[in-house]
Amino acid sequence: MPFDDSSSDFESALKPLWLRAQSGDEAAYRQCLGLLASRLRAYLKRRLSGLPDEVEDLVQETLLALHLQRGTYDPTLPVSAWAVAIARHKLVDLWRRRGRRERLHDAIDDVDEQLLVAEPRDSDARRDLETLFEALPQAQRQAIVLTKLEGLSVAEAAARAGASESAIKVQVHRGLKRLAALVRRDGSGDSVTDGQRT
Amino acid sequence: MKTETLIDMLARNAGPAPRALAARRLSPAVAAGLLASGGAAIAWFGLIPWSLFSTHVPWTKMAYAGALAGAAGWWAVRLSRPAASAARARVAVMAVVLAMVTIGLVSWLSEPADGRMDALLGYSWFSCPPSVLALSLPALAAALWAIHGLAPTRPRTAGFAAGLLAGSVGALGYALSCPEASVTFVAVWYSLGIVLTGAVGAVLGPRVLRW
Repeated sequence: MPFDDSSSDFESALKPLWLRAQSGDEAAYRQCLGLLASRLRAYLKRRLSGLPDEVEDLVQETLLALHLQRGTYDPTLPVSAWAVAIARHKLVDLWRRRGRRERLHDAIDDVDEQLLVAEPRDSDARRDLETLFEALPQAQRQAIVLTKLEGLSVAEAAARAGASESAIKVQVHRGLKRLAALVRRDGSGDSVTDGQRT
Repeated sequence: MKTETLIDMLARNAGPAPRALAARRLSPAVAAGLLASGGAAIAWFGLIPWSLFSTHVPWTKMAYAGALAGAAGWWAVRLSRPAASAARARVAVMAVVLAMVTIGLVSWLSEPADGRMDALLGYSWFSCPPSVLALSLPALAAALWAIHGLAPTRPRTAGFAAGLLAGSVGALGYALSCPEASVTFVAVWYSLGIVLTGAVGAVLGPRVLRW
């Protein structure tokens, strides 16, 4: 088995991959996000035992935040500590939005990586990000659809949309940021989302 | 959407991570704040006489405010990185303030007894902190905007650090207009104005630094 439950092994396998991802290796980045997703799922499951429906939504929200904030990663930090700090931030934000006063048992600064045990894949989110895409401005949605869903290169997408390459990159980034904001608003536990639960 | 699909989507065409993101966002904010505070100080209060620029009067203030801006900026950057320790940067901020307060105290104690009130209060002690605060507001808005684009996980502390940075930038501007020569005056009233700006940042942080 390439990864066992020891978090230092997890980190030492993840870190070189992550550094390649940071410098633009797409396959390494995809693999890192997959590894982190299962760790984050385990982390969030423990803390959301009363709200199991929220776990996968929060995993996805955290992955989106990891992607948008990957410029704030500092190579001196363990990748898993950085990722868990972001997940914790999203968790606190969720409690706040839901008006809960649940206490978090551990301090904000030290992340207990022993709690991060990999969980089997479980990918059913309650919220559908695709429906939230519909709310994005047209240019942002188009840039995301072309480069992220249809898989065109940035140059091809620029030619198709009649925009410059840098404009496409900016629209993709803005669109994902807008999507993250929509996710936060959507996740405030209102009756609309509850009504959609089956 | 399945999480697998989201991961595919995020990774596709992701390119390299942005480099030196914190510096790229914070430096233009500080530059804009400096221009605004310096410009407003000259426009509202006027420039001090040129002859004072050959004395220590403006330079002591600028050295203090510049050092504090550097330390507070470092602190703000550390607080904008999830999981990064901000302890050393916080110590640097406290060391700068403590050094200035110590210098102010020593200078005050070395004054003859009948000059101590003047050394402490100058003639503008009442207007100095609010002026520093007012001149800091553009820098505060810019610094909060810059940090909002990063990932502060402790919004109140990050707001405070942004406020100290902005307050120092405001003090740099005010030094262009303030003819007070007493080091004790600077240690007390400039520090108060900067800390007031920090308090405004701490109040605003939890509201505006959400992400």
